Parts: sequence; C-alpha cells; structure tokens
Amino acid sequence: MILYFAKSAEITGLRSETISVPQEIKALQLWKEIETRHPGLADVRNQIIFAVRQEYVELGDQLLLLQPGDEIAVIPPISGG
Amino acid sequence: MLSLEISSSCFNQETKLLAFEPSRKDMDEVEEKSKEVINVTTEKLPVDEVLQLVISPLCGAVSLFVGTTRNNFEGRKVISLEYEAYLPMAENEVKKICTVFHGLGLVPPSEASIISAVSSAHRAASLEAVSYAIDTLKAKLPIWQKEIYEESSSWKGNRVLWGIQQ
Repeated sequence: MILYFAKSAEITGLRSETISVPQEIKALQLWKEIETRHPGLADVRNQIIFAVRQEYVELGDQLLLLQPGDEIAVIPPISGG
Repeated sequence: MLSLEISSSCFNQETKLLAFEPSRKDMDEVEEKSKEVINVTTEKLPVDEVLQLVISPLCGAVSLFVGTTRNNFEGRKVISLEYEAYLPMAENEVKKICTVFHGLGLVPPSEASIISAVSSAHRAASLEAVSYAIDTLKAKLPIWQKEIYEESSSWKGNRVLWGIQQ
C-alpha cells in the first residue's frame, strides 16, 4: 500500500493505492514503478523520501524486503513544527 | 534528569488536535506508567493542559516552546496554515522525544500550531531539551505545512538533512 501526502497527494490525486511489486526491490526501483504510474511525480523526485513500515528510507540502492500489506509512504519535504 | 519518554496519543475530531502525552517514569526509573486520555478541548491548543501534563513535584523546571502561525511569509500575506500528518508514524517519532501538541487542519495567524514541553529537575536540562526537541521534531516528524495566501497556496519544506537517522 502506497500512501501519498501533501504535494505528492496533490500530484497523484490520491491518498493511497495498492500496487504489486516484487517482494525484494530496491528503493529506487520502487520509486520508478510509482513514477511510471504518475509521471507528474518526476518533478519532485529529488525531494522525496520513503517511509517503509514507518522508517525513513532514501530513494537509493537499499534493498527493501516487503510483505503483503506493508505501508510505504511517499514523504515530501516535511514542514511541521 | 528528564521526565519524558513513552507517550500515548489521542486525536480529537472536533478541533483536529493531535496530542502526544508522555507517561511518567519514577525517579529511579523502575516503573513506567502510561495513560490513555481522551481530550475534549476548545479550538485552541491548550497551553495550560500541556503544562499540567509535564509538571511534576520531582521537577524544578518546565520549558515550553509554542510555535504560532505568522501572518506573512516572504512579503506575502498568509491567510492560514494547514497541517497534514502521517499519523501513526508521527506518533512513533514523537514517542522518542517529549510532550507535543500539534495542530492539524487549519491554524490561522496568532494561533499556536505546536506546543512542546519538557520538564526536568533543573532548568539547564529542560531549556536545552525543549530546544533539541523542537529542532528534532522539525527534522523528523512526518507533518506538512501548507501556506495559504490570498490567491494561492504552497507546501512548505523545511531545510532538513535526510541523512539524520536515529
């Protein structure tokens, strides 16, 4: 399950969606998968970070081991406080 | 000695208030008690209530940071700020820090958007801790602020280093 927030939610027009990907996938590959579905996200690629099971993960070579139902949040630059 | 740590959280539908409360550790840190509290509050972030949560007879100092909505940004008039959060993760991040109340939804100028409070035995620790807390919260909490101007709006991004990991 991919969760979208703030700018990324505005670009995709979605708060969440379920997609199917290999159980083992690199963070950057997952991003490319998402970007293919929502080309508008290319604009913010350099500012995004993932939160996989609520832990921050950069869009790089880190290998993600995913289980069905895992939440992956698309995190634009935060601005709380 | 800081009285922080484990928090429970509650979300008030009416006022869109996100509240994180700490539990208290005994001074010898043997027992941890957590409390679940359902808050029914007025529209504004309750500074008094936050203070009551952290004040303890064991602590001689309480430091409070209150962040409020400013009515201008880069020369433009700000009508309101709007906050959005990834709630379950925000709760987990805050559990590592302190007592925080953060507004969600619309927070107009002069209203508090965040209250962060830390109590300690002596003032140096509490002042330092609340400063650390607000800096860390701004860098790590998955909460977003949208600035609503008269004719447009934009999502703000803090300058943070994503390399900061726990």
